[in-house]
Amino acid sequence: MRAALKLTLFLIVLGGLVAFPRMVQSPYFLQLMILVFLAVAQGQSWNILGGYAGQHSVGHAAYFGVGAYVTLILLQSRQIPPWWGIWAGVVVAVIVALIIGAICFRLRGPYFVLASIAVAEIMRLSATNLKGLTNGAEGILATDIPSLRWGERVVADFSISKVPFYYIGLGLALLTLGVAWGVAHSKLGYYLQAIREDQDAAHSLGIPIARYKNYGLMISAALTSMTGSFFGVFVGFVDPPTVLGLDVSVQIMLICIIGGMGTLYGPVLGAVVLVPLAEALRSNAVTDLLVKVGAVSPESKVGLFLKENLSHAHVLIYGILVVLVILFMPEGIVGALRKLTARRRREVA
Amino acid sequence: MWKRLLVLGFTFALSSTLAAQKIGVINTMTGGEAPIGENITNGIKLAEEDLKKRGFPLTLVWEDDTGKAQISMSAMEKLASRDQVIGVVGPYTSACANAVAKRAEQYKVPLLVPAAAKEEITRQGLKYVFRMNAPADKYASSLIDAALALGKPRSIAFIYENSDFGTSTTATAKTYVASKGIQVVADEPYPKMNADYRSTLAKIKSKNPDLVFMVSYVADAILIMRQAKEVGLQPQAFLGGGAGFTTVEFARETASSSVFSCTQWTDDVSWPGAKDFGKRYRAKFGKEPTYHAACAYESMMIMAGVARDAGGNRDKLREGLKNGKWSGIMGDVKFADFDGFTNQNAHQMLVQQLQGGAYETVFPKQFATKPSVYPFPKWK
Amino acid sequence: MSIFLYSLISGILTGGVYALIGIGLTLIFGVMRIINFAHGDLMMLGMYGTYLLSTFLGVDPFVSVLLVFPAMFLFGGLLQKALINRMLTSVAQNQILLTIGLGLILSNTVMLIFTSDYKTVTTSYASSTLKLSENVSVSAPLLVAFSITAAITAGLYWFLQKTDTGQAIRATAQDRDAARLMGINVSRMSILAFGLGSALAGTAGALLMPTTYTFPQIGSVFTLKAFVITVLGGMGSVVGATLGGILIGIAESLSAVYISSGWKDVAVFVLFLLVLLFKPSGLLGKSRT
Repeated sequence: MRAALKLTLFLIVLGGLVAFPRMVQSPYFLQLMILVFLAVAQGQSWNILGGYAGQHSVGHAAYFGVGAYVTLILLQSRQIPPWWGIWAGVVVAVIVALIIGAICFRLRGPYFVLASIAVAEIMRLSATNLKGLTNGAEGILATDIPSLRWGERVVADFSISKVPFYYIGLGLALLTLGVAWGVAHSKLGYYLQAIREDQDAAHSLGIPIARYKNYGLMISAALTSMTGSFFGVFVGFVDPPTVLGLDVSVQIMLICIIGGMGTLYGPVLGAVVLVPLAEALRSNAVTDLLVKVGAVSPESKVGLFLKENLSHAHVLIYGILVVLVILFMPEGIVGALRKLTARRRREVA
Repeated sequence: MWKRLLVLGFTFALSSTLAAQKIGVINTMTGGEAPIGENITNGIKLAEEDLKKRGFPLTLVWEDDTGKAQISMSAMEKLASRDQVIGVVGPYTSACANAVAKRAEQYKVPLLVPAAAKEEITRQGLKYVFRMNAPADKYASSLIDAALALGKPRSIAFIYENSDFGTSTTATAKTYVASKGIQVVADEPYPKMNADYRSTLAKIKSKNPDLVFMVSYVADAILIMRQAKEVGLQPQAFLGGGAGFTTVEFARETASSSVFSCTQWTDDVSWPGAKDFGKRYRAKFGKEPTYHAACAYESMMIMAGVARDAGGNRDKLREGLKNGKWSGIMGDVKFADFDGFTNQNAHQMLVQQLQGGAYETVFPKQFATKPSVYPFPKWK
Repeated sequence: MSIFLYSLISGILTGGVYALIGIGLTLIFGVMRIINFAHGDLMMLGMYGTYLLSTFLGVDPFVSVLLVFPAMFLFGGLLQKALINRMLTSVAQNQILLTIGLGLILSNTVMLIFTSDYKTVTTSYASSTLKLSENVSVSAPLLVAFSITAAITAGLYWFLQKTDTGQAIRATAQDRDAARLMGINVSRMSILAFGLGSALAGTAGALLMPTTYTFPQIGSVFTLKAFVITVLGGMGSVVGATLGGILIGIAESLSAVYISSGWKDVAVFVLFLLVLLFKPSGLLGKSRT
């Protein structure tokens, strides 16, 4: 019964998302939705390694950057369309993941965290220095993306509207969700969770730890690389800080931790909350709202003060919110919701 | 009842057409690029004040892109579709300007880029994208032309920030010196916030170059000159190709004396209103105006002026920008098509030299305020 | 040859100041097993403290250390008491995010107050040098900074080795639970450790001000640098961090001459990875398996 309810709910939400671009034409909202999908996919990819296997990588920008760079390099220098480039990105990301896994998985806890940062930094600095391949700090600007054709018919024309990106983003989010579901309900998932709970115990049970960690990393890297490819083509530009910076890694991790690690809904909720929140803070929506409601006049002292300062303070407010969530909802939004429903159930009983 | 609904509907219909004087600003106000973005903010604020004084019913919608291309894009989408602005001034960084330029073309929203240097921005044949400042290649060529007019340099060393601006400026400089027969003896990119340039400068000193070409922002510029003095680097001329070499903080340093720098703007140039702008800027913000501020000011003045006549029509605004001609604090401005550029203002770069703690324009001749000091005097 | 000598000396001197940042981080890590992602931002606060004192009160940047050190100590202790002590038992990734959030708050608060302009302090001795030989000279302010660093490090070492409190801190770092059983007030030691760590980071910032500059986002670069230094020296080891700092200073300065400046940071991170892999207890530490 509960499973059926869940499925129905999922299908309703999905139906709504599929129909969304037909109802809302505003490119601004489409853009926001695309960024939400991207964040869901990023968070979910990280979740497979960080949430289920408990390996907290702060270097996922490495795979994100690989996807973005490989796709755009192939597009710009070899005219290979992105729907092929994305797979090349996946192949490279998996190879990189194998190398990184061989290095980082020998380490545990804080040492693993630091090693993952170091690897991503090496990638960023190399991308800055390898001018022949990556065009260095100047970055790569994508010119026109060819339209996707099926025979003679144009399936998706990327130059006119955002709608193709919307559906690809939605597909990407669903794909990562599906893969995470598959992992969580397979032997791989059980092994990874056993490793997360107690690595030594898992080892003594005969689980080949190194191999399974690497499986988790490869899947996570492949998916993250796909999100990178999508980002690169969508924004039409890559340079080292945009796709390989430390803040990219942190952002990916943040989505999952704020949402709730090791759960299917965690990254979804994290993305649905964080992306619009960041945008609302950035665009000073609070002031706009207060003005619209009539609480403050835009010309009054308060209005001017808010307008002036909130636009500069959005990162500060974001930081404060992150700290508050970590302090008071240590298991993320999902954890907090669970506690809430558990309490209610107890009260009913 | 019906009447009221009708009125409501009418005002709704009105508000959904473009507000004639609603102009978007995309700038970097937080994050690592914010120090320069701040000048652009100030320049536009001064423009807003002047425009309001002249009775323009102007509304600015400010967007912070935090220096990230994807956020800059979001800001553009918001301005174009939700805020329904008629045109946009910004963004500051080249990466953001590049990403936004394409959207501007897509939504047919005129975009005036005030101070991003990357050449490609106006080289893609985009009809709705205009640029006020001279692009990266002009920084290098104007400085090297000045050095060639003053002496006979045969070799050059490069030390530059490995950012987009640093590498692209240096790349154009290398092609330019190659065409003039000057040999490159050192090529040293450095990461921002390096703090210690001594060993790199010592290495450059061992190559004994005639020219030292530097691309840095304020703080690195100061450190490089302080440490060049420490090391005793003694070329014929130090050429500073970057915003860092044209600031009051840089001028205050004793080690900076006689350094050449190039700029889009100074307040001692004979362009109308330049001096007055400098004075009012200092009074309002308590610091020296930079060329970013001047570029942003003039961009907003032009955008608002044309927007008033365009009556809420973006295409009219575009035509107005394309066909107009202005003369203001940035000298003569015209957005023209030339050398592969589209809608690019052929802005004249100025070469200046620090003499006695003040910037003096020394090149080109018609703008010169003082004769130049060449070669670089011996360190004391 | 003189280039080599010159780079070596300036590398050692800069490295000395780096060491101070590393020691602060290693102390915090040793006692609490928390990787402090806000460490560079604490250093940035010290820089702004010196900037304020020097610009508005005319205090010499080097003298300002006398005020910056205690102020940052109090601030760090307060942070620990109010925030980080609550998180000592929570999972590692939450601790990481907490310090990241803290860093965002610090840098953006400073930005709101001071704007994002670059700030420098002007001194009469900014580019004065001491001549060692015909071709080799050293920067005077850097030499002073290095001497102060050396004095502070020696004092700290004495404090940790010889005083009861110092020994209690070291005991907490060795084994938290055992220390608690021995009657050591572990939470107070944590406050002390974070306070000291912050004070050292802030002092390093103050000492760098005469030769460099600051702006609100400068912290992140130094946070990464501090990570490298502590790992090289072995996380938790004060002597290790000192040597790690000097080693990084030398590596940066020599590789800028002999490799290209662009690749030098890659070299640093590769070294970092190698140490993590083959000697995770640091260059000096005893190998642990």
